Formats: sequence, structure tokens, C-alpha cells
Amino acid sequence: MKMKKNTLNNYQEFLFGPAHPASGNFSVRIKLDGERIVEAKSDPGYLHRGFERLMEYRNIWQNTVLSDRICVFEPIAWNLLFAEAVEKLANIEVPERAKYIRVILAELSRIQSHLIWFGGLSLATGFDTGFKIALGYRDYILDIFSEITGARVYPTGFICPGGLRKNLPLGIENKILKVLDKIKEAVSYFEKEDPVFESRTKGIGVLKLEDAIRLGTTGPVLRASGFLQDIRKSEPYEIYQETDFSVPVLKEGDAYSRFKIGLLEIEESVKIIKQLLNKIPSGEFLNKKMRVGMPFVLPENEVYVRNEVARGEGAIYIRGKGEVNPDRVKIKGPSFLHLIPVLEFLLKGAEIADIPVIYWSLNPCPADMDR
Amino acid sequence: MTETLISKIQSSFGAEVLKKEKNQIWLKISKKNLLNLCSFLKDNGFEFFSSLSAVDILEKNIIELIYHIWSEEKKIGLNIKTTISRKKPEINSVSEIYNSSQIHEREIHELFGVRFLGNPDLSELFLENWQGPPPFLKDFDWREYVREKFYNKENENEKEYFE
Repeated sequence: MKMKKNTLNNYQEFLFGPAHPASGNFSVRIKLDGERIVEAKSDPGYLHRGFERLMEYRNIWQNTVLSDRICVFEPIAWNLLFAEAVEKLANIEVPERAKYIRVILAELSRIQSHLIWFGGLSLATGFDTGFKIALGYRDYILDIFSEITGARVYPTGFICPGGLRKNLPLGIENKILKVLDKIKEAVSYFEKEDPVFESRTKGIGVLKLEDAIRLGTTGPVLRASGFLQDIRKSEPYEIYQETDFSVPVLKEGDAYSRFKIGLLEIEESVKIIKQLLNKIPSGEFLNKKMRVGMPFVLPENEVYVRNEVARGEGAIYIRGKGEVNPDRVKIKGPSFLHLIPVLEFLLKGAEIADIPVIYWSLNPCPADMDR
Repeated sequence: MTETLISKIQSSFGAEVLKKEKNQIWLKISKKNLLNLCSFLKDNGFEFFSSLSAVDILEKNIIELIYHIWSEEKKIGLNIKTTISRKKPEINSVSEIYNSSQIHEREIHELFGVRFLGNPDLSELFLENWQGPPPFLKDFDWREYVREKFYNKENENEKEYFE
């Protein structure tokens, strides 16, 4: 940490991150008055890879692989979003079977992403066991991913325009059911009431509803402040309109209620997966007209596709110009808003010891902010 | 209900409907009417500023800005397209109306060089000490830039080192 003392008004300046164990590839410049934060300024860009520009130089099959890397914690969700954007742009039909498998993968991805979130939040509150529990149980899901997509974390374009690259392996349904039992076990650990954890998170980083809407929050952060918004319900994609699930909403808007929303969402995701597992229809898993790696010309058109990824609203604007490469791709990650305006707003007036708690309660991912 | 809203936007703000999708409507509007339209939308249930995209079109010498705004109440997204000239990329900021658009405008300012008049903070975001032209413009050849700026320089340094 770089310390700088300003003797004129007795403020201290220092950086939270990018080398702090709880910060990720991200830093905040903080001005302190004693223990209280006077001003916080987010300093993103440590992971800026220029994906939006890079995608203009790649064809769609290369871009599906690139789209994994938008977010480290939930590559499958971004993989799905990019595939949907291309499908909508070029009017590609997706077989029913692929849609079911996509939703199952997306929900598994949501669960594992929330588990990392809880791991980080536990670390931020000094509860190291929670971190180990969360990441340990997450590994069961990674084993499933490894079996289905061939890779534990990055599916390398498994969900591709037109469907999927491979079919489901035999007997995976029973394995997923067993993993869901394990997830229930993990949730039961986090459901236990812990006075220390509650005292570190309750009433910390309170985001009121009007501020939440004004600052552009989405997903669990907005729902913890009392607004029901879920793109799976309001603009259903894949087969979410046929599945039965509810969207949890809480009113308090503090770090604890954001954590609770995450727990409730895991339970809903488990419900969705259980519904779909018995109903996966047989048939094609990739559109017959599509072949992975084939030259594919994007038509002159533009679309804007939104998805509910684990952290909130993920969106892609894509524009074709009658060539193999897209003319322009714009990626909007939820953490772009959560980590810059929202975090700056919440840190102002907070205490120095609460920085990691507030940061992790927002379910951050520096990668989807920087892109 | 949405039909009346769209016809009202068409009549009072001179908007042109480009295409209609299931939950999304694409509009085109001149940049003079943008602020009025945005404040009209804010009062009519379009609370969420989803994002702001920019497209550089070299052939027509324009930059297209697309404002993606969502209404949770109506379940409709509006994609409002407006164009500005490439030579003088300036437009009024909507950050007074939609606060969350401030950060999107700051990003577009950095990557496309568009000046948003009235935006309180347009400082650098991702790029640190960037000297070159806005990197997302189509006439910026990043491969050439990297080759000149970094590879040749590194070699020069090596030469000096070995000599």
C-alpha cells in the first residue's frame, strides 16, 4: 500500500488494491480522515484487454472462445450471451434440446459464481472457513462442467451460435442431481446464523432504492434494495418462460441482505435445474445448417441482447456489415456500474475496515468491467 | 399502450422507427431532440439506462451513438440512435437525466473521443497516460501503433544495451 500524507488538511491517501488479497485486479484510491473515508475513486483498467475492438478482427467461432474470457467467474453465461447475440443477428434457430442444456449450464454457472462470491465475502469478513467451504463445493460443479464442456472453468466456446458444440455425455443427469444435493449442503452451512458475520455485514453499505435505480444497479444488488427486476422474467430468453421459479426480493439494501439474496437465488437455480433435468428432449443439439468453424457471413443488421448473468444485467450490442467479422461489438458488464459509481457512492463516509465487505457484497468481477 | 407512446415520440420529437422487435424498438432521432426525448422517457416509466454504444462509420464520416433504455413497467427497451459528425464529435450529455449514463459517456469519451457537453467527469478510465488517438476509431491501426510504439523501441533499447 502506498501511503501519502497530506499535512494541510490531515487527509491520508492510499490504494485499496490491486495487490490487496480481497481486491482482485482492481483498485480504489481512498482519501481518509482518521478512520473515515472522505473520498473514494475507482481506478479500473488493470484487466483491460480491448475485447470489443479485438472482436472486430475475429470471426464468430473465434469470438465465442473469446467471449468466455469476459468474466472469469462465470464464463458460460457470457458464452451463452454471445451465442444468443449472433443467433438473433443472423436469425439462427436453436434446437429445443440445446436450449434446455444451455439453461441448465447457465444456472449451474450462476450457482458456482455465487459460491465464489460467498467465498470472497467470507474472506472479507475474516471468516476463512467460509471461503474454503464455498470453493470446495464449487469444485463439484466444475467437475460437471469438465465432463460436459471438456474444461473446468472456461468452456472454450462450448455454447456456440446455433446450439452446442457437443452432446451431453451419457448418465450426466444423475451426476448433476448428486451435485445439487451437495450444493444444498453448502447452502445449509451458509444459512447458519453467525453473530460475528451478521455484525460485520448488517447495516453496512446500505443502498437505498432510489440510489440503486439512479446509479444503475442491476441483478442481486438491485433486488436486495427492494426492486423486482429479473431479465429471465421480464425479457425471457431460451426456455425461461416455461420454467417455474420465483425471484427473491429484500428491502434492507445492506451487505447482509445482498448476501441473503444470493443464498435464495441458489435455491431457485437448483429448482430450475431439477425441473429441466427430466424434461430434456431428444434430437439435435446443433442447428443442421451450422457447422463449427464454417465460414459464416454476418448480415447487415444490429441487435441488442440482454441476459441475467449472476451479477446482474449483461448485454451485448452487435452489428454486422455483410462480412465474416462483426463491425462492432459492445459488451456491457454489470460490474462496470457496480464497481465504479456504486462502489464510490457506498464507500464515501464508510469506515476503512468495511472496504472489503462493501466491495465483496456487490458481487464484483473486475474482468467484466474492464473487458 | 406502447403504440400511443411510440406515435407520441414520433410526432413530438421527430423520431423515425427503424424496426420493431418483440421487446425492443429501434428509433432514430436528431441530436437536437435527444435531451428532450430522454427527459420525456424518464417521466414515462423508462427508468433504467442500460448502456450506451458507439459505432464509428468511416464511409459516411459519422459516429453513431445508440442509447439503450429499458422500462421495467412496460417491459420495453428503446434503442435510440443518433449521429454526430466525426470531425466535431460533440453531443449534450444525458447524465443529468440518467445519472448512470455518466460512466458510459466517460468510457465512450475515452475510447471514441466523443465530447459529452455537461458531463461532470470525463477523466481517463481504462487507459493510463494514453497519448495516441482514441483507440476504438476505425482509422486507428492498433497493430501498427503497437509495432511502432513498443517493438521498435524495445529493440532500440536492446541495441544501446548491447553496444
